[in-house]
Formats: sequence, structure tokens, C-alpha cells
Amino acid sequence: MIRLLLIELYKIFRRPRTYISFGVVTATSLIFQLAMKAGGREFFEFGMQDISEQFNIQGNIINGYLVAYLILQSLLIQIPLLVALVAGDALAGEANGGTLRLILTRPVSRTRLVMIKFMASSIYTIMLIVWLAVMALFLSLLVFGDGDMINLKSETFILLLKHDVMWRYACAFGFACLAMTTIASLSMLLSAFADNSIGPIIATMGIVVVFTILSNLELPLFTAINPYLFTSHMVGWKGFFDADVPYRAIGKSAMVLFLYTSGFLAATILYFNKKDITS
Amino acid sequence: MIRVLAFVFTLFLLPFTTMASDAQELYLTLRSKVLAVKDYTADVRVLIDVSYMQIPTLEGILYYKAPDKVKMVRKDGISMLPKKNISLTLGSLIPSGGVTVLDAGTATIKGHNLRILKVIPDDDKTGIVLTRIWVDEAALLAYRTETTTRDEGTVVLDLEYGSYARYALPDKVSITMDVKEYKLPKGATMDYSEAPGTPKKPVAAGGKNEKGRIDITYLSYKVNKGLSDSIFADKDK
Amino acid sequence: MWAHCAAQINNQCAGEAVMNVHGGGVNILLKTASVGGGIGYPLTFVTPYSYSNSLLLPPIVEIQNVTKSFKKVPRVSDLSFTIDKGDVYGFLGQNGAGKSTTMRMILGLIFPDAGKVLINGTELTNSRRHLLRHIGAVIERPDMYGYLSGWDNLKIFAALTDATIKEKRLYDVLEQVGLRGRERDKVKTYSQGMKQRLGIAIALVHEPDLLILDEPTNGLDPQGIAGMRQLIQSLSREHGKTVLVSSHMLHEIEQVATRMLILHRGKKIAEGPVQELLNPEEMMVRIGIVPDDVITRKLTESQWQKHVVTAADGQLTFRLNKEMIPELNRWLVNNGAGVTDIDSRHSLEDYFISLTND
Repeated sequence: MIRLLLIELYKIFRRPRTYISFGVVTATSLIFQLAMKAGGREFFEFGMQDISEQFNIQGNIINGYLVAYLILQSLLIQIPLLVALVAGDALAGEANGGTLRLILTRPVSRTRLVMIKFMASSIYTIMLIVWLAVMALFLSLLVFGDGDMINLKSETFILLLKHDVMWRYACAFGFACLAMTTIASLSMLLSAFADNSIGPIIATMGIVVVFTILSNLELPLFTAINPYLFTSHMVGWKGFFDADVPYRAIGKSAMVLFLYTSGFLAATILYFNKKDITS
Repeated sequence: MIRVLAFVFTLFLLPFTTMASDAQELYLTLRSKVLAVKDYTADVRVLIDVSYMQIPTLEGILYYKAPDKVKMVRKDGISMLPKKNISLTLGSLIPSGGVTVLDAGTATIKGHNLRILKVIPDDDKTGIVLTRIWVDEAALLAYRTETTTRDEGTVVLDLEYGSYARYALPDKVSITMDVKEYKLPKGATMDYSEAPGTPKKPVAAGGKNEKGRIDITYLSYKVNKGLSDSIFADKDK
Repeated sequence: MWAHCAAQINNQCAGEAVMNVHGGGVNILLKTASVGGGIGYPLTFVTPYSYSNSLLLPPIVEIQNVTKSFKKVPRVSDLSFTIDKGDVYGFLGQNGAGKSTTMRMILGLIFPDAGKVLINGTELTNSRRHLLRHIGAVIERPDMYGYLSGWDNLKIFAALTDATIKEKRLYDVLEQVGLRGRERDKVKTYSQGMKQRLGIAIALVHEPDLLILDEPTNGLDPQGIAGMRQLIQSLSREHGKTVLVSSHMLHEIEQVATRMLILHRGKKIAEGPVQELLNPEEMMVRIGIVPDDVITRKLTESQWQKHVVTAADGQLTFRLNKEMIPELNRWLVNNGAGVTDIDSRHSLEDYFISLTND
């Protein structure tokens, strides 16, 4: 199992495409940091208008913690794409390249193959998020310094003291890993259905975008289905930036994501075990 | 309109001029005591209680320079002080210049027997229409002020005194003021609602504005040591 | 105890029944071969069975009444055959005949709609992983990871077998397929022939008993084709491998295979030892007649019926020995058929070409 996993990781990390994701994260973070350096204060004060009219806010507002949060928030849509880039390719890419039939002529069980591909995709996802932490958080802290963190929610203004922030990021990145693993499992499922990798990547993005829109629509019909959409729970990492962390809700969201992941994985295994390999 | 009312009110109270001049004197004595403090530096603890804000107690240094410069500084941190177009200090909230002071009876707050003064500025340059002050005559301390401003509602200061009472500097000030509501589009913040799909908390009654309370606890003061204006320059802007 | 047909036509057991008795220690095996098609019965050849090592063993591959459709289009219909240990078994059929589909079913890549696939006497579905340890395969194009070197590819696919394969074995197998010295180059720089050889190296690296090669000469130059032929022969003769090889070209199968099976539109047309299927005495005879339903009916009731391959629209096709042609002609004339032309050719090759052309 370990040997096969190492092979899978070797394949992933020897492929130039894999590094596109790391490049995208790096580039997005750098561009964002540059923009924040240039006009971050104006940008942020626009959002804080209501507050700064009434309060005199002093200090290093545009600090590394805030910049990192804004980067994470804006990468919310891109990261699933980057995860899908590898997880969506896991089975479909092999099918497209013709290597899937060669793999399956070897004595490897299909269930094990799916599990290994999923584990490898998850490891890639975690590495991507660790890289995101390095670029978005640690580099921002280096460039913008640390300080208390302001978190603007739709109806709440939150200020977190600087010594109270880092652990929240650690938890948030951990949660993000779980959320992105759900994306990886969704991509894997779609990947099992397809014989080329573009389909599952686009389909994953389509589902994430549509579900995210539904999650944010405050219409009665959609609020009723919101609790069942995994995208509503994927933003659970933000819960760690509430003054009082809603552990119960985050726990529930983590459970929902875990169930989705298991469901997607089980469906992938079931389908893939019955699939005729015609590629 | 308020000015007209105040004028009529003043006319109505003319027979009590003796009392009024007594009140005027008390007010001016109090004001000179308050204004005797030219500057101070204080270690403070600020607790902001506004329904839509989640802010822990902020500890920092508060700089004050007469007549209206205030700044709070927290080492490597963010400080927040309530802000109106008038400065929310006692020195600023008790009107300066020519005033009409009326006696408005007595009251007891936290065991202190207090005289209530109504202070109407002769001009409205400060934006203050009327200030009511609850004064402890013996100690010459204001325990409460209620300032009605032209544009920004009413600000109430509740003060508690301790070892700096001789400077009329409080150990604790609670500011109660109107705060405007705050809202950002959900699409921009992409919030994580604690339990997705459940109905949102009902919006605070009272519509657009609600009351906010800010408690400032002064731990220690350094009074009249001379503060440079540069301290109050806004570095971040 | 079970019986299997050594030679069959359209899935009907033909010729002498061949009994293979397991466990009893006594086996009387004769291999029979036949050719034919349509409604006819085969000519029967009886030859001593040459694969003594299979006497006590089940066939390495046994396909029982396997059927497979894709989107309701039948690709393989009721196919049965067996491959014994040591055979070089040729699959002949035009593109789309069902060769690859059948090979994929043997490898468990595709699941039959009906019927069974047995490897070494065990049903594949029950023990796919275990059984695949004994099989190496190159199906269709030898696709590999182009961004990795040949060596990396070989190592990766070697690791996918459960066996621990030493580096020496990797070098040996590269030597065997003639890729030594190029193993560190990226596969995307390889020629088609090199990829094909690397594919075979991958198929061989875990020393399987059965090698399945799907159109291994596709895209190779004449030199490469000759090399591949030699490789298959040496694998069979010197290394005792059983080989299942497919091609759409008869002469390729003819040159390497000991037994062969002709597939056409998913159906078995002929099966048996190559030597016997390619009997020079066997002729394919096409006779043109004035269309006549009475003659067609009489034919089906006559002794000639078993030689009929096709009979429609004034075109009759027979498979029979050369000396029988005048007799058939006489019978037709005597029964009132208006014979317009007679054309006879060497049978199997032409027959196969005619299949390919239709």
C-alpha cells in the first residue's frame, strides 16, 4: 500500500501540471500582497466605512493576519479548481493516457487503486494548503507584520487580539484540508465516469460554483436546502475567526464534509469496480 | 428648533436667576477644574459593547491633550475609540465659552447626591445643543453628563472616581451613544452561518440606530507632563 | 472431468470430441481442427495432441459462452475457446471483430454480460488479482507515462505486481526487448517500436506464464515486425510462455501461432491448429447461379449442405476439398441450376480476405 502510494505521489509530483497549482497559489498571493501594499488601506476602509465613521481605529490594520484572511477568502473559488486539476485527473487522466488499462492488467484491486489515488490526491491537497499557508500567511506576516486582526462579516465586526490569531489559522487550515478533501473526492467520482480529465475538472468547478451561489442565496427555497449542500459547510474554516468559535456548528460542518467525502469515495469505488475499461 | 425651545425654556426660568447664577458658578468652577488638566497619559482598558461588534477588552495607553486631542495606542495592536464629530472627553462635552446654566434639580446616582445642571452654549460651534451635568457639589465632580448634539444624537457619560478625583479625572467612564447599524453584502463576505439554513437572528429593534456602550477604565494617570502634538498625528494615514 | 472442443465452427463442437480427464491420470487427447462456416460442418483433421505438459493441467485460459455488448451493440457473441499452456494462440479478425474486447475480458478490464472467463481453471471474477499475477499484457497501443523515463515506467509497473522485482530483472528484461541503453530517456521521445518493446518489457517483467499481446506489430516498421515475431517465438520456445497474440493480418498469425481463432463481428468463425486451418487442399468455391429458391432449398437438404458457407442472391459459397468441385458442379446441373460461373481459391486466406472486404 505504502509503495503504491509513493508511486502515485511520484507520478503526481513528476508531472509539470502539478506545479501549476503551486504557481497559481504563489502568484495569487503575491499579486494580492502587492495590491494590499499599494492600496490595501483604502480598499479595506471601504468595507469598514460604517465602523470608521463612528470609531477612531488606530494601529496596523492591514497586517499579515488580515491580508492572509483576504487571500484565503478570495482563493475560496480557485483552490477547488486546483484540487480538481489533480484529483479530477486521477482516474480520467490515466484513462485518457491509456495507462489505466495497463495498470489494471496488473494484480492491483480496483478498490485499492481508488483508495491510493484518493490518498495521493489528498496528500497533494494538503501540501497545496500548506503552501497556501506559507505564501498567504507567513509571507504576509513577513511583509505586513503582525497585529490584531479585523474580521468583517456581513453583520458583525470582529477584532481578534494578535496572540489569539495563530491557533485559529492552524485550525482553519486544518478545516480547509478537510473541505478540499471533499472536493478531491467529488473530482475523483467525476473522474471515474470520464475518460478525459477536462470533463471532471470542469464539472467539479461547475458544481462548486453553482452550489456556492445556492449557499449564498437567501431565498426560502435555497435556505431550506443550504444545510445539505457541502459548499455551505466548506466555509466552516471562517468559524474559527469568530470571537467565540462556534465549535458545535464547525463540528457539524466537519461531519457533513466527512460524510460527503465518504459518500463520494464509496460511490467512486462502487462505480469503478463495475466499470468496463474501454479506454 | 432646539435652540428656540432652549431660549423659551430660559425665559421661563428667568425668575430663578439667583439659583441659576449659583448654578452658573458651580458649572464654571467645575469647568475650570476639568480644564486644569492640560494633558494626561493613562493606561486604559477599553471594552466596547455594541451588538454587532465582537471585540475583546483592549488594553493600551490613552493620550489626552486639551482641548480635544485624544489618541489610544496599543503596542503592535489595533485600538478603537468611539468617535463623533465632537471629541468624547469630559473636557469637550462640557461646553466651553459663553454658556447659560440652569439648575435642574437634584438626583442620586450610586449613593452620590448630585445637582443637575443644564448647560446651553451661547453658540453652536461645537455642535452641542444642550448638556445636562450631574455634579457632586462638595467634591466638585461630574458623575454623569448627557450631551445632546445637533447631528449625532445624545451621548451619555457615566463617570466613577477614585484616586485621581482631585484632577476630576475618572477611574472609569462609560460612554453610551447612538451607533449606526453595520452591514456588508453577504455575497462579498461569504459568511459561514453557524447553522446554515436556520433563520437569522432578529435584527435589533429600533431600526437603523441602536445604543452602544463603551467602558474605559483608567488604571493610572500621568497628568500634565506635557505632550507633544506629534503623538496625535495619524501615522497610518 | 470436462470436455472441450479443439475445433469448432460457429460455436458448434465439431470433429472428434476430445476428452480431458483430470485427476484420473489417464488422458486421451487428440486435437482436431476444422474450418467452415455458415450452416456447414467441418472437414475434420485428426492429429496427435502435441502439448504433453497440459495433460494434467486445466487450460490456462478458458472462455465459456461469453457475450458482451456495448450500448446494445453486440461485440462478442457466445464465444467459447480454450488456450492451453504452451500455445501461441493467434486471434485473427478485422478491426472491430471483438479481439480486443475478448482480450480485455480475459484481463478483467471488461466484464462479460454472460458466460465465464476461467484462468488456470479459476473463474476470473472470483480471484482477479491473484490470477493477474500470472499474466502480462499489452492491450492496443502501448501507452505509458510520457513524462517519465522508460526506466521509471518499468519500475512503476513492476511495482504494481505483488512480487518484489530486483533491479537486475529490470535490466534483463530491457536487454531482452532490446531497449538497454535507452532506458533513461523519457518515453515521449521513444519511437512507436520502442514504446511497443517497453510495453512488452512491462508485460514480461514479473515473469508471467501467459502473455497477451494485442496487435503487437501495429505501427512497427518491417524490421520491427520481424523482431517482434522473433521475440514471440523465443518467448514461447525458449521461455515456455503461453502467448495470446492478435492481429488483423493472417500472415502474422500464420508465422507465429500454433493455434488460431478467427473472429468476425464478435463470432467465432474458425478455430484450430494453424497448420490444419491453412490446409492447401481446402478450397473456397464461389458458384454463380441463376437465382432459384428451389435449388437453394434442395441444397440445404443435400449432402452439400455441410459445405455451404453462404447461399444467397445467386451466389453460393462452399468450403471443400479440390477434388469435390466437379462433383458439386454435376449435382447442381443435374438439379436444374443454371450455373453462370465457378471460381475457386485457396480457402482460409481468401475466406478471411472476403470477410475483411464485406
